[in-house]
Formats: sequence, structure tokens, C-alpha cells
Amino acid sequence: MHPATSPTAGVPAGRNHRTPLTRRRFVRGLAAVALAAPLALGAAACGGDEAGDDGPVKLSVFWWGGDARAKLTEDALALYTKKHPEVTFEKTWQANQGYFDKLATLTAGGNPPDLFQIDDNYLAEYAGRSTTLDLTSFKDSGKLDVSKFPKSLWQYGVVDGKLAGVAAGENTQGLVYNRTLLQKHGLPEPTTGMTWEQHIAWAEQVAKKTKVPGTQDPSADYKAFWVWLRQQGKDLYNGTELGFTADDVTKWFELWKGARDRGATPTPDVIHEGNATDITKQLVVTGKAATSWVWANQMPDLKKNTKDELGVVAYPGDPSAQWARASMYWSVLKGSKHRDVAVDVINFLTNDPEAVALLGTDRGLPSNLDLRAKVSETATDPAMKQSIQVESDLAQKFGESPQVPIKGHSKVRSELTKAAENAQYGRATPAQAAEQFLAACKSAIG
Amino acid sequence: MALTTAPDRTGRAGPAGPRRTRRGAGRARLGEGLAGYVFLSPWLIGLMGVTAIPMLLSLWLSFTDYDILTPLAEVRWVGLANYERMFTGDPSYWHAVRVTLTFALVAVPLKLAAALGVALLLNRAWRGVGLFRGLFYLPSLLGGSVALAIVWVNMFNRDGAFNSFLALFGIEGLPWVSDPDWALETLMVLAVWQFGAPMVIFLAGLKQVPAELYEAAAVDGAGTWRRFRAVTLPMLSPVIFFNLVLETIHGFQGFTAAFVLSNGTGGPVDSTLMYTLKLYISGFTDLEMGYASAMAWVFLVAIALITAVFFSTGRFWVHYSDGEEDR
Repeated sequence: MHPATSPTAGVPAGRNHRTPLTRRRFVRGLAAVALAAPLALGAAACGGDEAGDDGPVKLSVFWWGGDARAKLTEDALALYTKKHPEVTFEKTWQANQGYFDKLATLTAGGNPPDLFQIDDNYLAEYAGRSTTLDLTSFKDSGKLDVSKFPKSLWQYGVVDGKLAGVAAGENTQGLVYNRTLLQKHGLPEPTTGMTWEQHIAWAEQVAKKTKVPGTQDPSADYKAFWVWLRQQGKDLYNGTELGFTADDVTKWFELWKGARDRGATPTPDVIHEGNATDITKQLVVTGKAATSWVWANQMPDLKKNTKDELGVVAYPGDPSAQWARASMYWSVLKGSKHRDVAVDVINFLTNDPEAVALLGTDRGLPSNLDLRAKVSETATDPAMKQSIQVESDLAQKFGESPQVPIKGHSKVRSELTKAAENAQYGRATPAQAAEQFLAACKSAIG
Repeated sequence: MALTTAPDRTGRAGPAGPRRTRRGAGRARLGEGLAGYVFLSPWLIGLMGVTAIPMLLSLWLSFTDYDILTPLAEVRWVGLANYERMFTGDPSYWHAVRVTLTFALVAVPLKLAAALGVALLLNRAWRGVGLFRGLFYLPSLLGGSVALAIVWVNMFNRDGAFNSFLALFGIEGLPWVSDPDWALETLMVLAVWQFGAPMVIFLAGLKQVPAELYEAAAVDGAGTWRRFRAVTLPMLSPVIFFNLVLETIHGFQGFTAAFVLSNGTGGPVDSTLMYTLKLYISGFTDLEMGYASAMAWVFLVAIALITAVFFSTGRFWVHYSDGEEDR
């Protein structure tokens, strides 16, 4: 744009028809470079596979959780580095919300973690797409020791005959209630084994006396629905199909419509708030309901968010419908360059006495039964003691584990929430909402 | 650079050796062209790497079953299946289209009206008007930020500031953001509130209207309303057109606030399931990136068509005064 340019650089005759050629060639070359660059980089990355595990290894680890979990996990990993100075870790962690979006993006972007935390909501999605390494051979060779795990617990990590994840801990459904509130009003505490009708009647009584709704309405909560289904002799999934019918869903929604009509639950907008998976938004800690439906290992975290004393029992109905669930797993990326190290780290985190003692019950009861006993004996934190107590009590009543949720489960979950909320806001009858849900499920897992 | 090469080239381009000259000139030209491309390269690499190649890739992906986790080399070509499913097999897709159209049809005109109204007020010469211009522009500076959306959710939930304000007048408010009948409206209000950008453009447009037109109109006996109708609006029509096109596109692309309000679910009961949010959920939560890519391309074509409609109707109501003066 220099003013002197235009008069002096008058276009010579020969220029016009040659320039386009040059430009075209140039652009073609550029496109080739742009296309080739990722290929070359990709090839370079592949070449690294052969490098083996000699020399210093940097293992990337990714998990979800809060500050407390981050601290415990970092300490345990530091302990591993102390014992194996050649191995260091690149640690990334974040809140549960958005975790799986991030994990998927990292995987797609060619930068996935070697070792990551995953739960049964996504295990089949990842295992079904061969993103996770099959750990069976490591288990068989003893490099990965699950011999001290309850059998049903490690088997809950098997998808299509492949060991896709190793249980990082065990938990089960827990109905958490506000003990302080109940005691203040001289109300009885809920007990394990109450029927669903008794629970709702109890909640109605609580609401009348305390002006705090007695129970969160769990009709949008897949884990409550799941327990209820198992008590009816059904299941969430049966092979690659749904394990229930529209009638079952209608009955479930009607049960809770009854509870709402009796004033046992909060209003739909508050129920909606409580449907968020975020621990800090659970109604039992925000004071908007006397009970919340959670996982038993979330007790200590819940306690941090309220001054009131909390108690926990099993979900209503026959507690043998509950099972020893792997609260979350450790999985290894199939394409990881450091598979052996990653497997060894999992083995360390689940079977090393020091590491397990460090991690405590943050991810649920330790999977290794010997170490679980040790941790229970030495636990001092009251919240931790309580959740160990409750989970150990329930463990004696556990039934068979169901199959791990199938591919498409995350969508089934969100569709259940949508259908249940439709019924809660009175935009659909329980039967209509059930029909919608079934139709949406079929397209999700079909 | 041109200064040094140009005389050089003209010097060689004498009648002495036509062949040599042409080749020499070509080399110089190539050098010059190359230099040009080198200078362009930051932009060019950006365009290719960040826009063009990913776009073409997503076009290809829209015909595949890509699920993010599977390597690109292993995706399967599924032809038009994604498009077919979108148009015939996914009711929630059409729901998202309806939500997005409702949002744009209500929020965009209101936002433009608010922007124009405030611009008219701020166009007068009073003391401290500069301060007010700044204050009204402030919400737009914050843009589509996550922080703002969080503030909005907290303001409009059951125990939020807005309901406390209503309580002063004895009105019991609703849980706006968790009520499926009101959640989208709350987002519309947020969009309208951020009218600063079009307002500034309107303000600049108003400054361009020649004062003598108003004087002439006033002499002819036109009142305030008549002057607005017959002078301001026609003179401002190119600016209105510009804002309309821009804000419509912007309105269709609303994502952040809906994502934050609903924790990324489009809830309560899909009431805030904007098109872009549906696309995001399909791609990243349901791991159906092929399907999400197809949605993105339909979205692109739809926005292009709507913009084309604006441009084709523009000649009936947009007046470019300078062009008419020349004729």
C-alpha cells in the first residue's frame, strides 16, 4: 500500500497470464503441506509406540472430583514416583460436569490421557469403541491383582468379555437424610427396608411437621429407578435391550405423582434443581428437602456442604436389589505408549497398603478386601467412619450385580430426566411421559 | 520492497533480449509473489488450519458415523443417513429448531427496538450523555460470557434478586430459570439487555442524518413522529438492515447462556434446547459427531438462506441516499 508502488510497478505485458499459474501451483503446494503436516506428525507419534518403557516415563492421568480427591490422588501418585523415580505424572482433574465432554475431546484430538477415571455410565461407550485397553491378560499374568477384590466387583468392569476398567472403589445407593432436622421435630429416622409407600408416608409426615418437603422426588434419577425395577423383578438393561416396559415406567411415575400430590416432595422447580448431579446442589444440603438420593461414598462431600448432621440408609424396598457397584474405574487407553506402567499404577493404587491408606474411602470403599478392613479399623474421620459402617452393613444384604449399562446409556439417562420432569411439571400424564421415554430410549440404544 | 524491485524489472524489460527478460521477470515476479504469500502466511495458515480444512472435514464427517472416540481412519461412510434422521427420525431436532426460531423471532426485534430507542435518547446533546453511552454499552462489553450467564441464573431463580425486587411490591415471583414456561424468556431478556453493540451502530447512523432534512421537514410542518417516520427511519434504513442481519445471525447462534442455565442439558424439559446446544449435546455427550456435523451444515445453509432473504427484500425498504443523489 506504499504510495510509490502503483505508478512504478505498472503491470508488464507478460505478467498477467503467468501469475495465476504460479499462484495456483503455490496454493496447491501449500494445501499439500497443510495436509501432509498432520500425517507426518501422526506418523511420528506412531513411531513412539516402539519405544517401550525404558527410561523416564511421563504418564498422563485424568480424573474428576473435588479438591480433596485431587489432594489424595496427587499424594498417592507422588508415593508411586518415590518408589519408581523414572515415572512421573502429568495430572489433570476437573469437576464431574463436563468431564466426559473433555475426555472425548482429548481422545479425538489425539491427546488422550494414558490413565483415566471412568464410571459405569460411560464404560460401555468407551469399551465398545475399543478406546480402553483390555486388561484381561494383565489380570491373568498377575501384573494386575484383583484376587482380593470381591468377585462381583471386578466383574462389574467386564464389557463384552473384556476387562475394560478396574474398580477404584465400591459404593452403593444411599438415601441421605437430615438427622438434625428430624431430631429437632422429634420425628423418626428412616430405616433400611421401609417400603416405598412407607417412605412416602414418612416424607409426608416430615413435610407437615417441619415445613421442609420430606423427600426429593427421584423419578428422574436412573439409579433410584434401577433399584425399584430390580425389586419388581426387572432390570434397567437385558442384554442389548431395555429390561423394562412402558407399564413399569408408568407405575414408577405414578408412584411419585402420588407423592407430589400428597405434598411429600418439593415443587417441580426445586426438584429440577436437585436433579443436577452436582453435590453442592443436593436438596438435603441446600435445606430444600429432608432426603436426597445419592451414592453412599458421597457422604463426606455432602457433609462439607451443610452444618446439619446427616444419616444414610439404603433406598426403600428390599435392599438386596442394591449391589456392590464399582463407584468408578481406572481404565488404560488402548493406544497408550506406556501400558505396562499404567497398569502397574492401577495395581499400586488399588493394592498397595500405603497408597490405599492415603486414598481412604474417597472413591468408595477400597476394592481390596484386606486393605478395606485395615482402612476401616484405622479410620478416624467421623464422616468416613459412618460411610464405611453403612456400606459394610449394606454389603451383607447385597444381591447379584446387574450388567454394566450399555452403549447409549448416557442418553437413556437424560431422556429419563426429561420424561420425569415432563410429568412433574404436569405437562404430561405418567403414561404419556412413559411412552415418550420408551420411544426415545429405543432410538438411543437401537 | 516494491520500490527496489520495480525499477530493476523495467530496466531489464528492454527490447534487447525478449526471452531472457521474460524468464528474469518471471523469477522476480515469483520472488515478489512468494514474498507476498509469506507475508500473508499467518492469515493463510489460520484460514486453512482453523477454518477451511476443519470445515471441509466436518462436511465429510456429516456423511459418516464418526463418534469422536474412533480414529478418523476407521469411520464408516453412511451416505445421507444423518440428514435423513435429522429430518424424519429425531423429534428433538425439530423441537430445537422451534426453540431457536422462537428465541430469534422474539429477542432480535426487541433487542433492535431497545437499541434504537436508547440510541435516539442518547443522540441528544445533554450534559453527561457520554457517560450514559458508556453505561448502556457496558453489558455488551461483557459479551456472551459465562460469568454473565451465571449472574443471570442467580438473579432469576426463586430466591434471586429479581424476585426480591418483586416482593417489594407484594408480588410473588416465579422460579423463572427452572420453570419450563419461563426459562427461554429469561434468556431472551438477557439477549435484549445486551443491546449495546447495535445501539452504538445506530448512534453512529443517527449522527449521519443531515440536520437540514429535519429543518426542512419542520418547516413543512412535520411533527416529531412524522420526522421520525419520514426522515429518521429511511435515512437509517441501511444501518437497520446491517444490524438486523448481524443480530439475526447472532440470535440463531445463542449458546453460552442456554448452556450455563441448563447445565448443558437444554432443560428444564428441553425448554432451552437451542440449536447449537442440541448440536453440542449430540457431538460431545451422545458421541454422535457425524450427526452433529450434519446438523452444523444444515444450520449453515439455513442461516445463509435467511440472510439471502434479507438481502433480496432489502431493496424494497433500504434506502442508500448517496446513490440516489448521484442519479
